[in-house]
Amino acid sequence: MIPVDRPLPGDVVEDAIDQPFWDACRDHVLLIYRCRICAESFWPAGCCPQHGMQDMIWVTASGGGTLHTWTVVHQKYSKSFTEERTVVAVVKLDEGPLMHTNLIGSNGIDLQVGLPVGVVFQTIASESVIPVFQLRNQSETSAPR
Amino acid sequence: MNSQLDVAIAGMGLTKQGRRLGISRRELRRQALDLALTDANLQRSDIDGYIFIGATPEDLRYLGLSPAFAYSLMTGGASPVASILVAAGAVATDQARHVACVYGEAYSSIPPKLNPHSNAGTERDIKAYSYGYPYLYGMVGPAATYALAARRHMSLYGTTSEDLGRVAVTEREFASVRPGAQGYGQPITLDDHQDSRMIVDPLRLLDCSRPTDGGAAVIVTSSKRAADLTDRPVEVLGAGTSHGIESWWNGSMFESMNVSRAAQRAFEQAQVGIEDIDVAQLYAPFTIATLMQLEEYGFCKPGEGGSFVAAGHTGPGGTIPTNTGGGQLSGFYATGFTPLSEGILQMRGEAPSNQVVGAQTCLVSGSGGNGGIQGSWAHAALILGAAR
Ligand SMILES: [Zn+2]
Repeated sequence: MIPVDRPLPGDVVEDAIDQPFWDACRDHVLLIYRCRICAESFWPAGCCPQHGMQDMIWVTASGGGTLHTWTVVHQKYSKSFTEERTVVAVVKLDEGPLMHTNLIGSNGIDLQVGLPVGVVFQTIASESVIPVFQLRNQSETSAPR
Repeated sequence: MNSQLDVAIAGMGLTKQGRRLGISRRELRRQALDLALTDANLQRSDIDGYIFIGATPEDLRYLGLSPAFAYSLMTGGASPVASILVAAGAVATDQARHVACVYGEAYSSIPPKLNPHSNAGTERDIKAYSYGYPYLYGMVGPAATYALAARRHMSLYGTTSEDLGRVAVTEREFASVRPGAQGYGQPITLDDHQDSRMIVDPLRLLDCSRPTDGGAAVIVTSSKRAADLTDRPVEVLGAGTSHGIESWWNGSMFESMNVSRAAQRAFEQAQVGIEDIDVAQLYAPFTIATLMQLEEYGFCKPGEGGSFVAAGHTGPGGTIPTNTGGGQLSGFYATGFTPLSEGILQMRGEAPSNQVVGAQTCLVSGSGGNGGIQGSWAHAALILGAAR
């Protein structure tokens, strides 16, 4: 079920700097913001702490990562989220940056830090797609990435 | 003990703190200021600097003040300690003689308003506590941020829900004998904690503080003037702040409250070590924050916060009594004024309960998960000294 009236990316950030990221999500492509001088990757867009915005570029990420930490939201603080229980996770992308997301297909039990996860794209409004993650099975995790 | 900074706290006002007091925020600030003026033996006209904790249209007219400067300061829960530092700067540069740092919020009350008024549009999400993109995923409110840190702590160190629960039990023990505290007369057991409902896993109801209404004001001046005004000034021995969004880049955000830089500056300035601290007042709206700070300040080793609390070190009669008024969990939630006000009372030897006998130094911390799209753990450390 798609929750109604949940916030969309434009509701929470005041400018369009991350527009390429959200556009790519509609094509089911995960981007990260990379400094081409030191090759450090970031999400969301911002200055490289070493090189500022001298030479930043959006590049395609592998879509893989590991579960860094998570919480299961039981208390309904917000009327915008109607799911029974939301697993909010922080994923450490293979390229380095941390990303807040939802872990889908999990009840939040038997999770462990470090479990391999992969990106899935979820349509939340007609023109809005957000990246969420799900646990990867062992055969997938042994594949090179 | 003399301050390296030549700055002292000459007075404090603390209004009634509690749920649904039905008093407006502005009126709570007025009450707190008046209490602080009386406490410091000062007149309104003596206040030549005003720092308001928060952001609102100015209320100097209502408070009857006409100072040389009036600033609004907001860096989350680190703001009260930061306000002491800003006031110290104003005193040191001779921009003001007596600076009032004032707070008043009515989190649990609908502020009384003039009639007629419309209720339209008053119902809203708590978007202000959602920190940007995480809100897209249902992450709302500060508890979720601390829950992510708690889960990480559990994973790294084997910390358990019971370890968190012992923090709640210990702080409630302090509150249960403190008149006016939210937990007054209501001690809890570890079973009570374990039976309380899950809010944001792994944080249960009794891991969380509840917003309360209240006002607080502190008057900062030079050490010499403070000594002339009162026979129980509290010296500001050292302070430090840190606003480390770098923890988002280096991946330590959920493992650290960004204490180290702030603590290093504060302890260097105060010329004391952690072993010299007699009592601690830590900014901890959730149990995990107490454990993380006990470890990060060095009262115990990383990962040993749970066993440190279990051994009774932070409780009544412990080696480092912590949050002796019940803290934010069981005392009241007045952002960083909860630890700051209790630190001042302890240094004056005037804590209404659980006064630590002979305490000469107190560590006060402030922390804010604000500033920056993912939150950034602003931290502030303050070391207070007794003038006795
Ligand atoms: Zn760079």
